[in-house]
Amino acid sequence: MVKIGLEIHCQLTKLKSKLFCSCKADYREFEPNMNICPICSGIPGSLPLLNQSAVEKATTIAMALNCEIPEKIAFFRKNYFYPDLPKNFQITQLNAYGDTSIGSRGKISVNNKEIRIRRIQLEEDPGRLIYEGATERTKITLVDYNRAGTPLVEIVTEPDFENPSEVRIFLNILSDLLENLGVSDPGLEGAMRADANVSIEGGVKVEIKNIGSFHDLEKAVHFEITRQQSLHEREIEIIQETRHWDDRRKITVSSRGKEEEGEYRYFLESDIPWVNIRSDKKDQLKTTMPENISSKKERYISKYSIAPQVADILASDKYYSELFEKSHSENDAKDIANLITTDLMGLVDTREKRDSSKLLATHLSELVDAIAKKRITRTSAKDILQDMVKTGNSLSVILEKGDLNQISNRDELSQIISDVLSNEENAANEARLKPETINFLVGKVMQKTKGKADPIVTLEILKEKLGI
Amino acid sequence: MVNEDEIANVANLMRIDIEDHSVHIKRVQKMLEYFDILDKADIGSVELLVQETDLEKLRTDDHIPYEKNIIDFLKTYKEKYVKAPKMN
Amino acid sequence: MDLGISALNYVTSIKNGDFTVEEFIEKTLERIKDVDEKVHAFLQVSDTALEKANKIDRRIKSNDKIGKFYGMPISVKDNMCVEGTITTCASKVLENFIAPYTGTAVSRLESDDAIIIGKTNLDEFAMGLSTEFSAYGPSRNPWNTDFVPGGSSGGSAVSVSANECIASLGSDTGGSIRNPASFCSVVGLKPTYGLVSRYGLISYANSIEQIGPMTRTVEDSAFLLNSISGVDSNDNTTVEKSHHDYLQNIDVGISGKNIGIVSEMTNSDGVSTEVMNATNNAIKTFEKLGANCEEMSLGSVPYAVAAYYTITSTEAGSNLARYDNIRYGYDFDSEGFEFNSYISKARKKLGPEVTRRMILGGFVPSAGYAGKYFLKALKVKSKLTTEIDNAFKKFDFLISPTVPIQPFKFGEKIEDPVSFMLIDFNTVTANLTGKPAISVPYENSNGLPIGIQIMANSFEENKLFQAAYALEKTVDLPEVPL
Repeated sequence: MVKIGLEIHCQLTKLKSKLFCSCKADYREFEPNMNICPICSGIPGSLPLLNQSAVEKATTIAMALNCEIPEKIAFFRKNYFYPDLPKNFQITQLNAYGDTSIGSRGKISVNNKEIRIRRIQLEEDPGRLIYEGATERTKITLVDYNRAGTPLVEIVTEPDFENPSEVRIFLNILSDLLENLGVSDPGLEGAMRADANVSIEGGVKVEIKNIGSFHDLEKAVHFEITRQQSLHEREIEIIQETRHWDDRRKITVSSRGKEEEGEYRYFLESDIPWVNIRSDKKDQLKTTMPENISSKKERYISKYSIAPQVADILASDKYYSELFEKSHSENDAKDIANLITTDLMGLVDTREKRDSSKLLATHLSELVDAIAKKRITRTSAKDILQDMVKTGNSLSVILEKGDLNQISNRDELSQIISDVLSNEENAANEARLKPETINFLVGKVMQKTKGKADPIVTLEILKEKLGI
Repeated sequence: MVNEDEIANVANLMRIDIEDHSVHIKRVQKMLEYFDILDKADIGSVELLVQETDLEKLRTDDHIPYEKNIIDFLKTYKEKYVKAPKMN
Repeated sequence: MDLGISALNYVTSIKNGDFTVEEFIEKTLERIKDVDEKVHAFLQVSDTALEKANKIDRRIKSNDKIGKFYGMPISVKDNMCVEGTITTCASKVLENFIAPYTGTAVSRLESDDAIIIGKTNLDEFAMGLSTEFSAYGPSRNPWNTDFVPGGSSGGSAVSVSANECIASLGSDTGGSIRNPASFCSVVGLKPTYGLVSRYGLISYANSIEQIGPMTRTVEDSAFLLNSISGVDSNDNTTVEKSHHDYLQNIDVGISGKNIGIVSEMTNSDGVSTEVMNATNNAIKTFEKLGANCEEMSLGSVPYAVAAYYTITSTEAGSNLARYDNIRYGYDFDSEGFEFNSYISKARKKLGPEVTRRMILGGFVPSAGYAGKYFLKALKVKSKLTTEIDNAFKKFDFLISPTVPIQPFKFGEKIEDPVSFMLIDFNTVTANLTGKPAISVPYENSNGLPIGIQIMANSFEENKLFQAAYALEKTVDLPEVPL
């Protein structure tokens, strides 16, 4: 009986400023230590100033994960010494004196299984450590506080996962959910991190930290399950401890000796008064929250008759669903959806491609309209899209520039088809004997015309010429 | 009872280097014994009073770069980083 | 030119042209040179004060609008950040720390054209009652230099008492303004928690401490409070309260007011005979002024000191964690050291009292002890607050001696931790409950000062000043013998 629980840290990268000061929330563009102030660098006499939008965004996350949200939230200090911690304590949340954390006892559905969310808390990210020096002896630790104070939401699950692939699916669902909510950009480097805890046969819980990516998480969990099962079979005791993932050797290693103290002396952070979150505020947040993914998917299927797999792709990806919502009209929703999930996908499947894409929603609507009116063929859509993504040119400009209009002129086509037939004697003979193989020749005509040939007319002429 | 091990652990926790544990044992013991007076206070049902504020009164989410470069006021390495001692 | 002049009279004199700002500052600097060797109020004296004074004089001549302090010299306890100054908290671990910004309270004074004349001595990191724990040497009571000036704002109290400046900003966590005010015969106010911004105050116990004025008269205290009080966006614990002019109606008197005499603070064994006598005299005076005085009880006061030390050692243990000498502090290269052992070595520069509080602060909130001590302390704090809230339904003011004893000699009290803690017995209640409290100099017995403490309900400083002013007017105290 394998039990896996997760602690996911998600940066609220959509915020403009840090959790307790007005330095920039997204630190990635800055030179070292050029995004700091007295508050986030721990200068004496500075005081934390809680970010209103951070609380609002954390509240929407709690709602999206079906958590109970208390009337008042509070913050606590977690005290320990580490070079990336400017105050040598972290301001975080926990449940003490009743529910004081932003969300508790939530749940989310993963493949028709319910995963329980124990708690959601708002807290600050520490700074970053950089190591310089070639050898162990000469290595020095350098600190960059640009990231210190970046707003984090930590999501703690109950140990409800039973295998690594459930974990992977959950993390994908969670990423999509957080992106869809507009609170974070999970694709940004370092924006989402997770630790795991693993136990087997109702035994002790082993924590695994220092996992670089979700891909590694699945591997780490898999390795740890195997390690524990192997110990168990040989009747060797499994020690309750923290282990870290060694990415080079692809194993988990005991962190004993390197561990942080277990003693954090948690107590109330009284520089931050308890924050009242009134129910009318919660209602307002709920109504202005973006529609959730499963509801979108349902709507795409029922309202536009879009196929479930297509609806799934569209709804789960904020980029696609936004494009879809903006570009479709009453009648062409299905076609737009198909276009996005087939020809467009390969052109904008990475963050870099999306950042540099010049494609607009209007481009898609124009394109679908032109295909419906037969001004261009469906097969030429891919090339046109590529051009649109690259240049941002409208359909009319592209059509003028290149010659993408569908070739329907019989004489023109007839000439081309004759050329193809003379080059493909074997295929021509085969087609005469087995008419169903004529598609090979149609394909060749398409190739030669770069997809511009009208396929129906082409087939007609081919049959004529072959005498079938 | 406070013993030497406990003092040593706490001193380590607080990154305080003390030489004579016995002096501290006596003092801490005395203080904690004095604090035992708290047991006599009738506080079983007391609810904690806390300072409160409203969500609307919190700082608005704006990026305002700090008016000076704080790194200029810190001990630095190559003028860009803060150097920390080696981590074990 | 009388350096013992009040702030209000100073302003009048400057406006009347009795003397210039520069003249006064010059005289002030001379006075500091003269006496500070003996009393050691200052850790640093400003070297730009004369220049600033000169500028203000020129602006006065050009009929510019001048801030209400008109260049008066005010000192600041060295646990408050003033941009460009070394801010040590009287500790060796901050020997080289230069503050990159000025805290709000000081900044408000400077905006109103006060001149910050220097940074004053304190018990290291504000932990202490006598300024004996400063890493830079103690301050001495100007009434008798064999005796302590009180603490932790000892330097501030001395600088005002010895006429080295007109006023000072101190900080009060458990009595640190009121105690030295009582010991040095000056007026010391701890405002309501949340009235004055703590931005720039180097934290010791952030849930209860406040910055407050230390002055020679009650009116001066109100004058300063007008400037430094009010909500600050840099401190989320400050509260929006309509800004009173605390000087307005300060002289209406206290006829018909109800005054509660806190029996736990007044009748206990810890109160010395001289202090007892002075308190009884004060009570008679209040009655002559038309107030009704009655003994009353705050049942949780006997637990307040234990609660106070539990809470403050916990908060201090956390607030001082950042002093690892890695980003700022003093000269001590980390080359060759491992992280954890470096920090412990660097923090060896912390003095004995701070070290003791760090150890205590590691114990009481830790997993094994938190429920036993820390939670109970928080509950005592809450219960005491409820008790005092109820008391203020019946009484306008609560009074007691500020300190149960008079100033003591150096070295006399610091050995026994428990009797040392009990010096705070009368003052911690105001901190734990957040209520404003003021110490008014009342008597001078055997050459040593005794102050009376008056408390009022939250944000009723204007009322508090009225009571303090009325009491002050009945008193004729000797001049400081320095």
